[in-house]
Amino acid sequence: MREALRRVSLGYLVLAATAVAYLVVYTSRLGRFPTSFDYLSILNTTLPLVFVAIGQSLVVLTGGIDLSVGGIVSVCVAVTASKVTGGAVSSYTWILAVLALGLCCGAVNGLIVAYGRIAPILVTLATLSIFSGLALRVLPVPGGSIPPEVRLVLTNPATPTGLIWLGLAVAGWLVLRRTRFGMRVYAVGSDESSARAVGVPAAAVKLKVYALSGLCSALAAVFYVSTTTAGDANAGNPFILTSIASVVVGGVAFSGGRGSALGAMAGAVALTLVIDILFFSGIDPLYQSLFQGLFLVVAVLLGTVGTLLARRRRLA
Amino acid sequence: MNALRVLDSPGARRILYALGGTVAVLLVGAILHPGFASWSSLRVMLVVASFTGFVAAGQMLVVLVGGIDLSIPWVLNGAAIVLTTSSLGQTSRAPLAIALALGVGALVGFGNGMGVAWLGVPAVVMTLGMNGVMQGLTLGLSKGLTCASCGSYAPSPLRGLFGGALPAQLFLWAGVGLFMTVLLTLTTFGRRVYAVGVNPRAAFLSGIGVRGVTVALYTLSGVFAALAGIALVAYGGQPSLGLGDPYLFESIAAVVVGGVSILGGRGHYLGVIAGSLTLVAVTTFLQAQRVPEYGRLMIYGLVILAILFAYGREKAHD
Repeated sequence: MREALRRVSLGYLVLAATAVAYLVVYTSRLGRFPTSFDYLSILNTTLPLVFVAIGQSLVVLTGGIDLSVGGIVSVCVAVTASKVTGGAVSSYTWILAVLALGLCCGAVNGLIVAYGRIAPILVTLATLSIFSGLALRVLPVPGGSIPPEVRLVLTNPATPTGLIWLGLAVAGWLVLRRTRFGMRVYAVGSDESSARAVGVPAAAVKLKVYALSGLCSALAAVFYVSTTTAGDANAGNPFILTSIASVVVGGVAFSGGRGSALGAMAGAVALTLVIDILFFSGIDPLYQSLFQGLFLVVAVLLGTVGTLLARRRRLA
Repeated sequence: MNALRVLDSPGARRILYALGGTVAVLLVGAILHPGFASWSSLRVMLVVASFTGFVAAGQMLVVLVGGIDLSIPWVLNGAAIVLTTSSLGQTSRAPLAIALALGVGALVGFGNGMGVAWLGVPAVVMTLGMNGVMQGLTLGLSKGLTCASCGSYAPSPLRGLFGGALPAQLFLWAGVGLFMTVLLTLTTFGRRVYAVGVNPRAAFLSGIGVRGVTVALYTLSGVFAALAGIALVAYGGQPSLGLGDPYLFESIAAVVVGGVSILGGRGHYLGVIAGSLTLVAVTTFLQAQRVPEYGRLMIYGLVILAILFAYGREKAHD
């Protein structure tokens, strides 16, 4: 239990540190505190990654990995940008259809992983290619649009409606974690054969987890189109690596069974903040990925050192 | 008698499956598209597959001990740019430039290995971070490939690798194949690699320097990624940004289609050669059939899934 608390707090510590760094860099560069506009733009740009990170963290908690999030985001972005175009009723029906599509894509992954007994990294590698192809079929050239009414509800550029969705995501996780399904996710991730032995239907749990990850990717896609007001069939690719990075920075263990989606959400926000910090400190954007890579490794190293220190203290 | 027993082992059967896959794709191609399996078309496929074969050699080595190398794309790209900018297209500078490019690969791979083996960073995180570091360094130091020497070509002897009826590049690939096979099957080091892959704890308890082996394998993976970078820039003439991006997932796919277990401890490079060829043959065939890009992506994914279902499944539980 203490171990679980410590791992979760790593994500929050990293987030707090990057938030402080952001404030310091911003104020020293511009000579004033960030305005509500700055906070709002951070919130809106970070929402898609937050959702993908939640889905990825669920999968990683069961000891798997989902590389196809990139493909699912792409195909959902393509459908959203080309179909959610006008009229409130048709817009929201299409958004629901997009969410169902994401859920189905994820369920395909889950079915193959759980019942086909193929390693998750390989299954999702193959389906990534399939979903990316679908996205290209739906939206061959970048474009599309989203009606302003939908935009005002999802990522309003003037008032922080994004906070509502973020709050719903947090609340959703807090509830999910306490359900029977939530407990089973941790059980399967900690020790799958023990979980089976006590009667946890591991295959069904995995199927649901991958389906949920697909749903989260679809949500991310809707928010992505809402923020950027256009679609691109390759929009999802960056999310593969950044969602894994968020999960890692958020203190979710790759071996499964330890960590929480809240940590992954904190990791996602921290990763987005790092880009802003680099921008405001005037570092050549060409070097951006160098610092992101270092940030990732250092954050994980801090976690490892923390574990070692804690173990030594317990022994002493 | 002895040879028959070797053929019956699960390892050999996996190589046969992989080779069977290659032959099947080539046969289907030859039937539907006359000339597909002719030597001139086969030669092009072999050359294109050799690039995948190089990166997959490195990927296979780390997969054998249950690791993974996600830093391949930008190690490859970085090495390619190091080669052209340090050689400036001059033949006399070529040996030094090749050594430099391979050295960069070795250094990055060594860093990955140290992070994984000594600092205990998960392989996915370490190599993912390293990929970012290399991307940033490559873009930053070459100023987005706009530096004065960035327009240089690969030295002409290197570009000669691809000419003639039997391109020298194929001999280079055969050399890599020989190296990998000898290293993994005939040396103590090779036995240790499989031992660590099957059970690192048991390997450690029987006196194998698990950390040393791990560092050596990641270093070799870096060298092979750099070698692929050199070959690709020699093939294309000039480096470009994003040169290595397709090879991340391609290398993993080739390793798995080649019958190497992603969990470690099982697999041979002969299978990986077949795997690289299968993937390239599938892509070439779809291009020859004028399948649009979206269809190519989807069929490519379906083919990998089909191969995984054929021989990539794990044992049933209980």
